[in-house]
Amino acid sequence: MAASAPILSLKAVAKHFGNFTAVDSIDLDIAEGEFFTIVGPSGSGKTTLLRMIAGMEQPSGGDILLRGERINDVPANKRPTCMVFQSLALFPHRTVGENIEFSLKIKGERKEKRRARALELMDLLRLPQSYYGKNVMKCSGGERQRVALARALAYDPQILFFDEPLSAIDSKLRKTLEKELKDIHRETKKTFVYITHSLEEAMVMSDRIGVMRAGKLVQVGSPQEIYSTPNTRFVSEFIGDVNVIAVDLATDGLLKSVSHAGKLKPPTLPAGFVSGHLVIRPEFMRFITTPSEADNSVTGRLYNEYALGSRIQYQVRVGEAVFVVEKLRQQAFVGTLDEMVTIGWDAADSILVTD
Amino acid sequence: MPGKAQRMRHALITAWTLAAVVFIYLPTLCITLASLTSSRYFQFPIDKFGLDWWRKTFNSIEIRQLLSTSITIALCVTVVAVVIAFFGALAFARYDWRGRSIYQKLILLPIFFPQSVLGLALLLWFNALGLQMSWQTAVFAHLVWIVPVVTLVISIQVYSFDPALEEAAFDLGASRWQVLREVTLPVLFPGLFSGALFAFLLSWGNFPLSLYTTGADTTVPEYLYAKMVAGYTPGVPVLGTVSTIGAAILLVGGYSLILAMRWARRTGSE
Amino acid sequence: MRRPVVLSPGNKAALPVLLFLLAGVVAPLIAVIWFSFMPPRTFSLAAAPTLENYVTIFESTSYISFLWSLALAAATVAVLAAVCFPIAYGLVRVFGKWATLLTLLFTIPLFVSENIRLYGWVLFLIKNGVLLGSLKTYFGVELESILFTRTAILLGMVYVYLPFMLFPLTLGIGMVPNETRDAAFDLGATRWQVFREVELPLSMPGVVIGFLLTFVLAVGAITEAKVLGGQRIIPVAQDIEIAFTYAQNWPLGAALSVLLMLVVGTLVLTALWRFDLDRFLGRK
Repeated sequence: MAASAPILSLKAVAKHFGNFTAVDSIDLDIAEGEFFTIVGPSGSGKTTLLRMIAGMEQPSGGDILLRGERINDVPANKRPTCMVFQSLALFPHRTVGENIEFSLKIKGERKEKRRARALELMDLLRLPQSYYGKNVMKCSGGERQRVALARALAYDPQILFFDEPLSAIDSKLRKTLEKELKDIHRETKKTFVYITHSLEEAMVMSDRIGVMRAGKLVQVGSPQEIYSTPNTRFVSEFIGDVNVIAVDLATDGLLKSVSHAGKLKPPTLPAGFVSGHLVIRPEFMRFITTPSEADNSVTGRLYNEYALGSRIQYQVRVGEAVFVVEKLRQQAFVGTLDEMVTIGWDAADSILVTD
Repeated sequence: MPGKAQRMRHALITAWTLAAVVFIYLPTLCITLASLTSSRYFQFPIDKFGLDWWRKTFNSIEIRQLLSTSITIALCVTVVAVVIAFFGALAFARYDWRGRSIYQKLILLPIFFPQSVLGLALLLWFNALGLQMSWQTAVFAHLVWIVPVVTLVISIQVYSFDPALEEAAFDLGASRWQVLREVTLPVLFPGLFSGALFAFLLSWGNFPLSLYTTGADTTVPEYLYAKMVAGYTPGVPVLGTVSTIGAAILLVGGYSLILAMRWARRTGSE
Repeated sequence: MRRPVVLSPGNKAALPVLLFLLAGVVAPLIAVIWFSFMPPRTFSLAAAPTLENYVTIFESTSYISFLWSLALAAATVAVLAAVCFPIAYGLVRVFGKWATLLTLLFTIPLFVSENIRLYGWVLFLIKNGVLLGSLKTYFGVELESILFTRTAILLGMVYVYLPFMLFPLTLGIGMVPNETRDAAFDLGATRWQVFREVELPLSMPGVVIGFLLTFVLAVGAITEAKVLGGQRIIPVAQDIEIAFTYAQNWPLGAALSVLLMLVVGTLVLTALWRFDLDRFLGRK
């Protein structure tokens, strides 16, 4: 982790639109060379936050520091940062080469130097050299993404911002581009700040993730931390389907639940835990024959199964509650629908969250 | 939903529309025919065909003066209208600001207004200001009606303009002026061109406003009207035909240019 | 960036147009309104205000021209609605790639001065003109010319204002999404029901603008009556013109103008007050 000072520092940054608070006092440090992703549902304020850092919006309060210097009043065209927009914002009246070279042309660089740099970046982003004179609107979606990225890189920014650029792409192409972005990050060694509404996407690419909700940063950590140790129910439910049981702490150190007969064995209890939710990810649930095979178990009806590529998801209904179990295709559960089944999990595989 | 009833309907609609087109161009045809006679009066069927009046018209100094006046007014109107309307269109369609909805209705007002009354009102106003009527006052009068029209035309283009383009250019280091020059104007150019075309043609063909505000100067439509009422010569239909053909050429030519621009963008400047 | 903003970019961009309209529309209109309260046949604005002109209007034939103008305009709208609706429908749903060419064809006449075009009708309808001359020479039929009748005026108005009904109608019909129509059919509606329940309501914005624009422009029409109608009808715009020119009675002309503006203004404001221009003009 960075022992040196962070490249970007946000201190109590906030944005109000009249009575509406879009961003509610955010504190954040981003290390140099990091791939940091802000994840949140629509309306969480992540776009507003990004636009403030990039210079497109003026913060209502707080300070934005770049290498220790306050840049609140520096206009976007003077900040050493560059953004890749959601619509990509490629100049439709210009060719691929002209788009990439735009910032160099503005700076007044000579034609040969501009062209050389553009071709260099096209190589890096695996765009064929022949595309140099091709009109931008004639390129495919994936190619346009690369042109947008090349254009931003040509500016040679210290930080690159990404405003959900992949949200309009079909999923197969998206997965390819996500991985490519991570590769580019490694090669250019620049700081990337990315926003998306998909935690899955963030986990593929990021060094660290910040989860945002209603203008606040709810949790910041590595993908592993966000996934395995979410601090709230909101964060835990952000990726995939999870099993959630409302629980209270009983006097004997076990958990009791309204929806569940009997007591449940908890994982390590957080300090001061009184009540909250028990979260179990579907891959930690398994089918068992007797309750003694696992720490905790429930019995219910196998309602349906869903094939999800390399995994199969099973829906088990226990009274009103719905439980989700996931197994790898090779280890599929052999059983019939509407059959009564017992599923169980080990206490250590579950997570306790408050709220 | 195919079917005989639908095909019948479509055939009827097509026939009706073609009839309407004939209806629209019938007078123009008549005018062209009337210009081809050598005699002084119009009689159909034409017994004496000839292009004498075409020759006479093009050699006439008076006619040349008229054409010059009309073109000068039209050019001035075009330049001023496009500049003002450019900003007006940005306010209309691009930016979100508080008075926008009222502003949009206000812009429409001069369009939804009987032109002759507008012309007379301006006549009154200019007189009250002590101004002498001339082609310059006519330019102003034309602008009153034409600026809103051009604003609407450019707005249609502005609606599909992605504001992120300007932000991106700005983000890449361009100054506000460079953004305007490198991104905004080029991308909006087809709309500006359409607007200019509209402005020129609407000014060129305008009669009600010119009538009251040109004073001693005369435009082509004014001259034609005067001659229609008294002193008809086949020079009138000659000029009329020239006017129509000129408008058609400009319009078709302008439109083709716009199509060509769009096609060039799409296939790449190679 | 900007500190306490006094003018947003929207405000700044609107400024030139607004200032221009202020000088070019608002100021003259105020002058006209003021003039309408001046004593008749004066040219100064300094006299004591009076209502004489308005009284004169209601007591004289000017009142009649007003009604005639309104009636003609209404008739024009009615005729054009019937004429243009099939064409507009065709442009949107039937003609496919020909629609652009046809639109262009209908657009070109807009840019030719109306008096030229109307004169073409004179040449067509006049005795020994294109129509009557051909009938006489080729068919031996001798008919009376309809020129200088009220019918001729209506014909001229229908002719001149056709594009102003056609284009808004086309835009309006274009606002009906294909899928919505298909869904209505799919749910069992007949052709007429689909029209009444889906197409007509959804094209309303276009219908409103078409009717409004045509009516308002037609109410101020003057050339058609002059060129095609002889003196059969004196529309209010001609009365205004006479007052301003021959009769040298500016205040009377101003008063007539004010009345006309009231009618037009009320119509326009009521119809457009909550009109969504953005959606109509194609905001994405």
